[in-house]
Amino acid sequence: MDYLPPTRRLRVVNAIIIALISVLVLRLWQIQVLQGRDFLRQSEENRIRDYTITAPRGIIYDRKGRPLVTSRPSFTVAVLPLELTTPGMVLPRLAALLGMTFQDIKARIDANRSRPFEPVRIKRDLPTHVVARIEENRLDLPGVIILAEPVRHYLHGQMGAHIFGYVGEVSEAELADRRERGYKLGDLIGKAGVERTYEEVLRGVDGHLRMEVDALGRPLRVLQRVPAVSGRSIALTIDLDLQRAAFEGLRLVLEGEALVTAQSGAVVAMDPRNGEILAMESVPSYDPNVFAIGISAKQWEGLTKDRLKPMLNRSTATVFEPGSVFKVVTATAALEEGIVNRSSTFYAPGYFRLGRWVFGDLRAWGTVNFIQGIQNSINVVFYTLGHRVGGEALASYARKMGLGELTGVDLPGEAVGTIPSPSTKQALVGEPWYPGDAVNMSIGQGAVTVTPIQIARMMASIANGGTVLQPRLLLFAYDKDRKPQPAGVPVVQRRDIYNAKTLAVLHEGLRAAVERGTGRASNLKQVHVSGKTGSAENPRGKPHAWFAGFAPSEAPRIVVVAFVEHGFRGGLASAPIVRRVLEAAFPAREASATEVKP
Amino acid sequence: MSRRMLRYFDWVLLLATLALIAGGAIILFSATRTFPDPWAFVKARALHAGVGIAVLIFMAVVDYQTLGRFWRTLLVATIILLAVVDVVGRTAQGAQRWLPLGPLSFQPSEVAKVFLIMTLAKHMDGFKEINGLRQLVPVLAHAALPILLIVQQPDMGTSMVMVAILATMLFAAGAPLRAMGSLGAMGALAMPVLWQMLHDYQRRRLIVFIDPGADPLGAGYALIQSKIAVGSGQLFGKGLLHGTQNLLHFIPEQHTDFIFTVIGEEFGFAGAILMLALFGLWLWRASTIAGQAKDRLGTLMATGVLAMIAFHLVVNVGMTIGMMPITGIPLPFISHGGSALIMMLAATGLLLNIGMRRKKILF
Repeated sequence: MDYLPPTRRLRVVNAIIIALISVLVLRLWQIQVLQGRDFLRQSEENRIRDYTITAPRGIIYDRKGRPLVTSRPSFTVAVLPLELTTPGMVLPRLAALLGMTFQDIKARIDANRSRPFEPVRIKRDLPTHVVARIEENRLDLPGVIILAEPVRHYLHGQMGAHIFGYVGEVSEAELADRRERGYKLGDLIGKAGVERTYEEVLRGVDGHLRMEVDALGRPLRVLQRVPAVSGRSIALTIDLDLQRAAFEGLRLVLEGEALVTAQSGAVVAMDPRNGEILAMESVPSYDPNVFAIGISAKQWEGLTKDRLKPMLNRSTATVFEPGSVFKVVTATAALEEGIVNRSSTFYAPGYFRLGRWVFGDLRAWGTVNFIQGIQNSINVVFYTLGHRVGGEALASYARKMGLGELTGVDLPGEAVGTIPSPSTKQALVGEPWYPGDAVNMSIGQGAVTVTPIQIARMMASIANGGTVLQPRLLLFAYDKDRKPQPAGVPVVQRRDIYNAKTLAVLHEGLRAAVERGTGRASNLKQVHVSGKTGSAENPRGKPHAWFAGFAPSEAPRIVVVAFVEHGFRGGLASAPIVRRVLEAAFPAREASATEVKP
Repeated sequence: MSRRMLRYFDWVLLLATLALIAGGAIILFSATRTFPDPWAFVKARALHAGVGIAVLIFMAVVDYQTLGRFWRTLLVATIILLAVVDVVGRTAQGAQRWLPLGPLSFQPSEVAKVFLIMTLAKHMDGFKEINGLRQLVPVLAHAALPILLIVQQPDMGTSMVMVAILATMLFAAGAPLRAMGSLGAMGALAMPVLWQMLHDYQRRRLIVFIDPGADPLGAGYALIQSKIAVGSGQLFGKGLLHGTQNLLHFIPEQHTDFIFTVIGEEFGFAGAILMLALFGLWLWRASTIAGQAKDRLGTLMATGVLAMIAFHLVVNVGMTIGMMPITGIPLPFISHGGSALIMMLAATGLLLNIGMRRKKILF
């Protein structure tokens, strides 16, 4: 087959291609060789600065719309590594102006070496007189710039610090899986509390400013401006009034103005109908504002090395022996198992003997009924019941009531606690189960440990008639269209865990404890309060003081748990704190206990 | 493969291709070394090149006549791919061009270019000669559907490449000059309609091409900065990794569409000429293969590939030095982008295929 290619037409195609490429070559010659010098000068004069316009984080409100955490404008001093041509001259001057050391500044610049065109933030939240001095000395500080940036502002300082958490510069590890979400070195990120849980909501989208500047770094004109989009706000379930009462109650204990003086404690108040946390406090606390402007190494060391661990949220992240508060579990187990009823009588001689072990009591009570047992927290009553119910059943009721189980509250770092049983103690605690352990466990001793928020959830389940609810801090968050989106229906973790008879006896006993028993210090005129005290022996010092109560007794709307570490007696140290919170929830003026609040 | 085919294997074409990819990888590293992972793009390039070479071997080994026989399937596949990307495609910078494929994604428009060359060649080859509407209408309809689907994405650059391929192949297939002239005139008349269809950003690009000063901070910015980059390279460049325009990210898309600015800035006029020389070598081999093919199908396919690479080269380099409007078409073998590289290697394989099976030269 004879095929003749279209040689002439192909030549035309070739000619066109050769012509086009020749034009390219000529043009390249023109701009690279003939005008190259000119373009080189332009490229050297090309001084363009890219600024990130930091988006303010969303505001955090309380449940009534009162701001708790906001952002305020501030000045940050930063260095542009590429324009820092004489670091040896500039940095010591800058260090002197800022009151920092040369090494500190150098270290910060070196840490950002991989991004030479991004400003390296040296110090946040500069006082205005320092800003003024830097501006005055601009000519002696080439490469140093001042950025206007929002700074996180925690309106109430130490109060609520553990709820809000704090923000800090994103770490290398956090950055690794967040780069594609737009995080970069030097960005702030929620490190603890709801700042961390709701990082995605609170974080805004940074804007961008590209400016042409002269050789001295003075802006000539704006080339491009992408405005920042501020983060979305959230409202917490916290009620500022109750929070304040809890903080104040704990503060009095800390400062020796209460009956008992101690160094640490926690309060959790929760709405038993829906799991909303109304107040949560932990002391000693810290001021998250110091993190917002970049905490110094010294301050950080002070906080982390403090023996009392002020950064720790004692409401959720630390476990403690529950002591007599656990008697609620023992009572429930015994009632549900049919071992006891409201009128069962016990002889309480002041001790309980099991084989060669003797378990003590505060005093000899003589013959008492079960309600009196709860009311006066009589150990022998619960020793007897615990022994009869047995360790396995006690542990299983405790777990059913949510002890030793994460509550799922929307805070990072929740602790689990331990509910040992004959079958699990070896694995959990590393010791075998002794026959006396059930007796010990019946009053919340032994290896039993829980968090205050677990106790709050347990009391809420009694208060609301048997529903274990997930505690939560988020009331609503604003969505992308800036419309409030409620956090959704309460999360029911278990329901109807008590039968009606059990509930009736528990309610009667818990009311009696406040009316005429161990919890009298929480009694109020304007509303009926129910509750249980606890004084938990522990190997580290004086007993921990607990009080877990709810009000109004008839139709509970609030559960309050107060915990004072080494507070000695629940009735002395913790019940007054609960009383203070309840007074805030039910002010004396509105004496009617039925008025709906919150 | 027979011994004859091995003798006719075009080593020069293959070596020019590999040289462009290797040199391109160095440029790519320079352009992306300030990214969070400085090696990410080079690693991706190595992977794409590996896949591309496998595809090249396949395209070279299977007789192009056999490949041509599947032209209807290929055409339907092209249209389906382009239609699917319109529906479920991933959008990047306002254009829906990407088809997600598990963790990967690819650009069907890149595939469409090479498939269009193959299907058009076979289609045109089916007519004894193209001299009237009876042949022109089906061929034009054949090309119009994929082109319109790509215009719709919108991807002006790729659709222009496809129009150039169509025109060159029609010309090589012997279409009457008067017919081609009237088609060109019709195209010119359709310009105002096309203008209406353009996105705002595309119109701005065209305006600044004519008058860069019209919008020096917006669309004109890339143009001015890329000219400064290329020009400041002068005769021998600032040296690898020493481009300041490159380092400062003055140029948008410098690892994809504007990668030539890195060559111009860091290797200067000499580097640019070296690159153009490699492309010249490549195009010369492509043109030779078109002229020596044993049949019309071979000539047409080779011409299509020739037109594609030449158009990419001229438009891409041209836009960085202010000779062409800014359109998002990559520099073959060099710009970042897996689909493009793999399909360019497929096209190279097709050329090698035609070259190996050329007729005996009788002197």
